[in-house]
Amino acid sequence: MSDATAFASIGELARRMRGREFDPPGLLEVFAARIARLADTSRAFISLDLERARERSAAIGDFQGRGPLEGIPYACKDLFDVAGVATTAGSRVLADNIADRDAAAIARMNRAGAIYLGKNNLHEFAYGATGENTLYGTAPNPWDESRLAGGSSSGSAAALGYGLCAAALGTDTGGSVRAPAALCGLVGFKPTFGRIDTEGVIPYSWTLDHVGSLTRCAADAQFLFAALARDYRPVEPGALAGLEVGIPETFFFERCDDEILAAVEGLMRGLESAGAKLRKVAMPSMEHTRSVSLAVQMPEALSYHNRYLDERGDLYSTDFRAGLALGQCLLAEQYIRARRFIETYRREMQQVFDDVDLVLTPATPVIAPPIGSVEVITDGKAEPAGNAITRYTSFFNMTGHPAITFPCGMHSLGLPIAAQLVGRHYADEHLLETTALIEREQDFEMPLPPVA
Amino acid sequence: MKKLQKQTLIGMRDQLGGYPWGDAEISELVDPKLGIITGLQDLLDQLEELRRVDLGATPPAAGIRRK
Repeated sequence: MSDATAFASIGELARRMRGREFDPPGLLEVFAARIARLADTSRAFISLDLERARERSAAIGDFQGRGPLEGIPYACKDLFDVAGVATTAGSRVLADNIADRDAAAIARMNRAGAIYLGKNNLHEFAYGATGENTLYGTAPNPWDESRLAGGSSSGSAAALGYGLCAAALGTDTGGSVRAPAALCGLVGFKPTFGRIDTEGVIPYSWTLDHVGSLTRCAADAQFLFAALARDYRPVEPGALAGLEVGIPETFFFERCDDEILAAVEGLMRGLESAGAKLRKVAMPSMEHTRSVSLAVQMPEALSYHNRYLDERGDLYSTDFRAGLALGQCLLAEQYIRARRFIETYRREMQQVFDDVDLVLTPATPVIAPPIGSVEVITDGKAEPAGNAITRYTSFFNMTGHPAITFPCGMHSLGLPIAAQLVGRHYADEHLLETTALIEREQDFEMPLPPVA
Repeated sequence: MKKLQKQTLIGMRDQLGGYPWGDAEISELVDPKLGIITGLQDLLDQLEELRRVDLGATPPAAGIRRK
């Protein structure tokens, strides 16, 4: 079996297993061989569990047709509990934190027949969007190893981008699934707040945390969401004709790389050609959104980490300690006020969806920055790299709307460009179906990365 | 609002309770070097602007319910 199999979609892998071209144990060995070759380079994994994966895969044996995830090898960010395995969160603090049961999302993946391979690297405790990790190394971008995979689900994006698994689970508090997926030419999906259970996942900020998926295409994200959501409801295949797509008048197309803008504008023209109706929409004011998000994140993070600080405080990285210290210096009323602003953002965003079915934006204003970048510059203005990476994604963690990022072109520097679609609360199925339709009709055939 | 002083944070740490952060963290809050968080002064300035916005009786965000 060729290495190209490791870059096939779940849909294709399931079809080929149904056709007896190979079986789940054979598929697992394709990924195991690539992991043996590329795990060190990719820095994608913190731990591997190939022995149990082989046992589970052998137990399936021939493809039984239980569903599209049967026999599909997947990985998860090392925030998810897997029974008998350490959940380290990429930190020295939890190096000995062995889970006694599976996180809800892991249990659902396993019930669907997917094969757990291992835990992915990440920004320590998901605190940061660059994915840099001093303990486990920084996952490089599979398209250009001098650049970041992005974070905080950096290892999940690298594992999929390097062809080391067929899908990965991550968490998204400000864009930590969608942004690395966008930078690595993958599909990143975060559902409506609460639709995938976060039980058994180490929290960063309860108000903003979402469990999400990284896949090769939107159809694969549908397969995962069907398995992961507590209340999945299939929808009839839709059409692009007549779809009302909102284009934000401000913020989301500002201070953005010209080639990213051109690619997203090309997508807009394609949608119009297919009969979609594009209209400008006035979004809520974005002026204070980052401050509101920080005023919620840091006290919530501190509240969780207080349990470890007395005994293990010295084991945290310097930057995360400073973030937690900030959480201690805010007033209770400032935290409550920030939560009230989030409620106003939700209400105002709901009103946007009175007029349109979906909102379209670029996924990120920049392509993957070089590893070690402290700042990036857009339109002559410097900005911390992590802030830039999540500038267009973090708002929807506050509003809780489902959002997906997907490739829509290639930059002249050889890196992927992605767009973001946002849907109404609980219209996740429609969002995924529409994105899959766009992928099919708009013909965004991505080349394979050099690591293929 | 006056500029935040390091001594203020040391006083908060010593007199209000909570985790006893060291000099490195407190210095980072008043003079950020790591480039990840904004710096407490900038955040406090923004939060002070938000304090002046009348939110009426809007409650804090809670769960999201299906309509």
